[in-house]
Amino acid sequence: MDAIAIPPPEQLDSLDDEHFRQVVREFLRQNYPEHLRNPPHRLHWHECKEWYHRLAEKGWLCPGWPKEHGGLGLSPIKQIILTEEYERHGVARTPDHGIVMLGPLVIRYGTEEQKRRFLPKILSGEHIWCQGYSEPNAGSDLAALRTEAVLEGDHYVVNGQKIWTTLATDANWIFLLVRTDKQAKKQEGISFLLVDMTTPGITVRPIINLEMHDEFCEVFFDNVRVPKENLVGQPNRGWDMAKALLGFERIFIGAPRQSAYALSRLRLLAERVGVWEDEAFQDRYARLRLDLEDLKALYGVYVAKLRRGEALGPDVSMLKVIQTELFQRITDTMLEIAGENAGLMDPMEGNRDLNIGGLFIQARPATIYGGSNEIQRNILSKNVLGLPG
Amino acid sequence: MSAALDDGDRLESIRMIRDSAAAVVPPGGELRRVRELRWQEPGFDRGVLRQMGEMGWIGLRVPEAQGGAGLGLGELCALAEELGAGLVPEPLIPCALSAALLAAAGDAEHLPALLAGERVALTAWQERADTLEAPGAPDAPRRFLPMAAGAELFLLPVREGGRLALYAQPAAGADLATERTQDGGHYGTLRPDLGGASKLAEDVGAALEAALDEAALATAAYLLGGMERAFAMTLDYLKTRQQFGRIIGTFQALQHRAADLKMQIALTRASVEAAAAALDAGAAGDARRAAVSRAKARAAEAAMLVQRQCIQLHGGIGYTDQYDVGLYLRKAMVLANQYGSAALHRRRFMASAPEGEE
Ligand SMILES: Cc1cc2nc3c(=O)[nH]c(=O)nc-3n(C[C@H](O)[C@H](O)[C@H](O)COP(=O)(O)OP(=O)(O)OC[C@H]3O[C@@H](n4cnc5c(N)ncnc54)[C@H](O)[C@@H]3O)c2cc1C
Repeated sequence: MDAIAIPPPEQLDSLDDEHFRQVVREFLRQNYPEHLRNPPHRLHWHECKEWYHRLAEKGWLCPGWPKEHGGLGLSPIKQIILTEEYERHGVARTPDHGIVMLGPLVIRYGTEEQKRRFLPKILSGEHIWCQGYSEPNAGSDLAALRTEAVLEGDHYVVNGQKIWTTLATDANWIFLLVRTDKQAKKQEGISFLLVDMTTPGITVRPIINLEMHDEFCEVFFDNVRVPKENLVGQPNRGWDMAKALLGFERIFIGAPRQSAYALSRLRLLAERVGVWEDEAFQDRYARLRLDLEDLKALYGVYVAKLRRGEALGPDVSMLKVIQTELFQRITDTMLEIAGENAGLMDPMEGNRDLNIGGLFIQARPATIYGGSNEIQRNILSKNVLGLPG
Repeated sequence: MSAALDDGDRLESIRMIRDSAAAVVPPGGELRRVRELRWQEPGFDRGVLRQMGEMGWIGLRVPEAQGGAGLGLGELCALAEELGAGLVPEPLIPCALSAALLAAAGDAEHLPALLAGERVALTAWQERADTLEAPGAPDAPRRFLPMAAGAELFLLPVREGGRLALYAQPAAGADLATERTQDGGHYGTLRPDLGGASKLAEDVGAALEAALDEAALATAAYLLGGMERAFAMTLDYLKTRQQFGRIIGTFQALQHRAADLKMQIALTRASVEAAAAALDAGAAGDARRAAVSRAKARAAEAAMLVQRQCIQLHGGIGYTDQYDVGLYLRKAMVLANQYGSAALHRRRFMASAPEGEE
């Protein structure tokens, strides 16, 4: 069989879909480091930077960004194909807040100067971003945040604390929501600020999560001086932008990625523990598989909207709820069929594909982060269904 | 035996057992000791196990004539529930199972040290995941031995003709491999060596079946204790955590969730207590199997639901290792399927409880 040629990145979007799928497979075969397939937990930067840099070099880092900004400008269907093939191959998630959240935000709201300053550095892997929104007393009620930024001459001086900041130990930049007007209504005094993590006055303290992994952090700000040109959009208008960004986050979490991965592992496990042929199991599996297929279809609808340049409405919350709860039901099922193996700390038989308890635990926070599913349901009932309250 | 006690004495006996559990379960749900023992070998405290022996817990079900306390399942379940609330890591349930077998075998050599908590004897009956059957193949690896690194002795059921003989193999020099479990303990896999083992009894088949049922029921009770405790912590959190300028427990969605969890806990308690009462009243054979399976199926499923939701209702803090609620989830991940998963017990219930009979 002829080897499949990998066309330059700007041509990927014009391939037919099946051909594109073959190209992605070949690309991963040639480029993805074998030892990083299906890692048991989220990788730190030092573990995955080789892969990140390779993606950057090849121009494959930002599939969803428009071509004029260095992205692949992929169609919705191709983005789904890409996701599917990454999952199939066991590609690890990289620190992707710059790619998924900050990049799209700067493209939409940033000045030309900010686009020039920040986008190329995401594309080159020079800037790794983390997201500094949540605070100890501002989780679901994000607008209650208190970390403040006071303008002094050409700088904002930042004081306060963020928490649950994923991979803050790995990032060199953080995007922050900060309070810039204490007098205004709580949503109206918030600004969006980009901060170099090497600035004096920043302390990062890792927190061990339920996976026993130091993935999220507390980040403390003590008189941190940030150049005022690092503010995105208008002062005190950060909330509206952050809300738009939450849309990107929801569609990202709503992508069928996690569920597709988990379902393929459920199947392997079912075969391994000998319940695959079982009729009752087949029915459960069929249900989960149909849920996944329909989730993919719904995801396609939202990706298509984005491609047409339409803003995502509050209804994108559906996608986040459906995906994360499917992910959880699949991993719940893994536990239920695994017998005593469900209680193992490490993958069953040393096989990374059978990381039963690990995957189950990883699925837990999906209904908490990115706006908890309770909050998503509040949004759906109020802002989509128009129910009073 | 318990059946000889009248109801009032019985309740008093159960209350005393609950109170005595405070000796190893610190009040207020303090879990420092539990955290310190995580992923250590043997993963429990031999001093605490001896204390359990002194209080008569290991031999709680063993007849008084053989050095036990001769108490009932009502007492055992009450005790297991208290231990579950404190996530006590000492392998009381597996030791009690071994004590039942040794007592049935009429053994006087190993039983006293086991009852005293001086020596740990574990029964290596299991050859695959999710089963209650002991095939007794002489050379099959014996799997999923809780806290096996702390054992002095392994009891090996071995099929001989139509009977299940019982052998004792010293742990010293045994071919044992361990794997860590989510709750901070470990499972052992033993490759039996009958050459170095001595025969204790010709047939313990029926005794093992009964002992496994009691272990399954006690495990259900342990899960119940964990649910109650994690749920209490969660209710406290719902009553104190504020967002949007309100206590989060005022949000109706969370109130209903909490009410749903409470109902599952109530069903679990009813099921466990009914099973304990049935067994104490002499239920045997299918009646025993049906009662135990009902309780374990309920407890396994309810525990997973409750523990998952307790994390969810805490938000980000629930996903940290330092916050205790996660320890209860990890314990449930290990115990939900021990001595049979919910699915296994549902199947067994259907096979042992014909419809339309009481
Ligand atoms: C693994 C993980 C990674 C994270 N990464 C980041 C990150 O990189 N950057 C960042 O800024 N944040 C991050 N977060 C934080 C996340 O966004 C918050 O945890 C989330 O917003 C919930 O806030 P909270 O933890 O304070 O919980 P709380 O808001 O205190 O919620 C507690 C419970 O109350 C419920 N609740 C609250 N309000 C209501 C209501 N009105 N109606 C019904 N129910 C309600 C919640 O759903 C939850 O069940 C991360 C969290 C996790 C778990």
